[in-house]
Amino acid sequence: MAGARVPLDERHVTEIGPKGKERSLPALHPERKEERSFLPYKPPLEDGSPAQVEEFLEHAQFISEDLEWLLSLPHDKFWCQVVFDESLQKCLDSYLRHAPRGLDPALLSSSPAVADMHRSLHRSMFMVFLRMATHKESKENFLTPAVFGEIIYNNFLFDIPKILDLCVLFGKGNSQLLHKMIDNIFTQQPSYYGDLDDTVPSMIQVLDMILEKCGLQTGGACANEPLKLTAHNPHAAMTMNEEDLVDLVLYLCDTCSTIHSFLDIFPKACLTFHRHGFLYRLVSFYEVLIPELEKAVKKRNFDKNLQEDLWRRVSHSRRRMVEIAHLILHHTCLQPILEGSENIAASVEDLLQSFTAFLQEKRFLVDYDEEFPVGDDISLLQQAFPHLDDTRTSYLLQGVESAWESLGRRKPHPVLPMTSHQGAE
Amino acid sequence: MSPPRLTGALRSFSNVSRQEDFTEEVYDLKAKRLKRQERFSREGLTWQKIVQFFTQHLEKKEQQTATQELKNILQAAKQIVGTDFGQEAIESAAVFLFKTFYSKDQVGHEETRAIKQMFGPFPASAAEASCAAVGKVVAQVGESLVEAFVQTQSSSKTPDRGEPFGRNIAFSFDTYVLDSQDTLPWLEESEEERGLDF
Repeated sequence: MAGARVPLDERHVTEIGPKGKERSLPALHPERKEERSFLPYKPPLEDGSPAQVEEFLEHAQFISEDLEWLLSLPHDKFWCQVVFDESLQKCLDSYLRHAPRGLDPALLSSSPAVADMHRSLHRSMFMVFLRMATHKESKENFLTPAVFGEIIYNNFLFDIPKILDLCVLFGKGNSQLLHKMIDNIFTQQPSYYGDLDDTVPSMIQVLDMILEKCGLQTGGACANEPLKLTAHNPHAAMTMNEEDLVDLVLYLCDTCSTIHSFLDIFPKACLTFHRHGFLYRLVSFYEVLIPELEKAVKKRNFDKNLQEDLWRRVSHSRRRMVEIAHLILHHTCLQPILEGSENIAASVEDLLQSFTAFLQEKRFLVDYDEEFPVGDDISLLQQAFPHLDDTRTSYLLQGVESAWESLGRRKPHPVLPMTSHQGAE
Repeated sequence: MSPPRLTGALRSFSNVSRQEDFTEEVYDLKAKRLKRQERFSREGLTWQKIVQFFTQHLEKKEQQTATQELKNILQAAKQIVGTDFGQEAIESAAVFLFKTFYSKDQVGHEETRAIKQMFGPFPASAAEASCAAVGKVVAQVGESLVEAFVQTQSSSKTPDRGEPFGRNIAFSFDTYVLDSQDTLPWLEESEEERGLDF
């Protein structure tokens, strides 16, 4: 192999060809890939028969051995396999799509063998993604950053849905590593910001679709349109069949958890979300949907366990939505203000406008204020930006008080503007 | 079936993912086993080498017994792989059985799993027969000699493999779950009724 300190994408290797003669090839070349035939991942069946458990174990054992083999390959061989082996990409993609999340209703079967096998697979999968997100493995083994960016993007080694899946599957315990991975991916290939820009409207579309299923929106509303009050069937959540309602709650729960984990791990994405007006859509979505869903879960006649599970999922979704709103506000407005960025006045205006928009959505505002007191942020603003219009801030704080009163809820902490505070977090 | 997921919708609605090509080959367990058998057959040890080894290390009078046991191993291999893939596949399976049993007295759980993973479901009698035949033929020359032979042959074509990537990276199995702290109290009184504010 050519001397060290040359990036893999510029290296050549001398190998014995199929006709037995020596030949020189680029180190990254399809003929250097091995025929491994990775199997696509299939999740274990819940309460599977012994035969099905055995089949899962055998299937997973093949994948696990293949991934161990892949991770043991030298840097050049690893990248040849990753770039040119379609079966490997299908295997990785199938895991991201189908691996059970911690939030799924039925987790892994009770078989310890299945659980052990799954843990081993889970770790190996993560390590493969980590290696694929690393352009410099050592002083000798590295790719030119720009070429790395092209390789991962052009070959769809990572795409936005995959990155979201990675966050929700691995993010809870590996957030720092994931942050480094995703940050490196977006830094070396800024086209991912463009893809994110294209994806956020689809996320808004998902929110619209959930509302539509509940008869709360006739569809076709774009990000800046107010929700239509004259929907076809505003109480569809009460009347739709049980299976559909369960699916809807699961979908909501997954959607909120996925977006939250992504923004939590990669806060730079908050700006893209904010530019699309995601915050306003989310808040009005919350305001319209949550009371309907809560009513449906409470009033409909369910099996007790299912009812409790649905209630927990709706509560979980509520909390994640409030946190998503805070993440967006924190990273797009509060942080620039605290860091004293150039456009501090614009950030202040943006934050005040967001809070003003929240005043119309009382349920959301109260839940948000309970978790992240608006008074604290206003107080922070008053210190960071002394020219703040007092009339405007008083109006906002009164609006928050009025929202609590109108919902008949008692505020845990009174609003104390211009007092010591804990900061935005 | 997986529950409905945001990322599933994004893969369908947005155009940021690779479009699925349904004409591409997707491997199943059967195809995977065949690939594994092919790879195994290229790993160095062949049936001819095994036959040759016993011919070289046994006296002529002992060779007849050995030949019979080797035939028994081939016969068992035939029962396990069938005849669809020809003599080459049968001999490769015989090599696998030989490698699996040369240091074993009986067919244990590990051996059963290894054979099943390589060939799929198989008759237990064939595994028993091959184990017995391998035991007898190995006893004729001694296990240590066979061990050395198998190791030499097997390592000749096995590429060097380094330490797996990530071996020293701490990994957490923690996962997002429904947190009981997130669960709101169940209030019987409807907020809708209380929350009217004109």
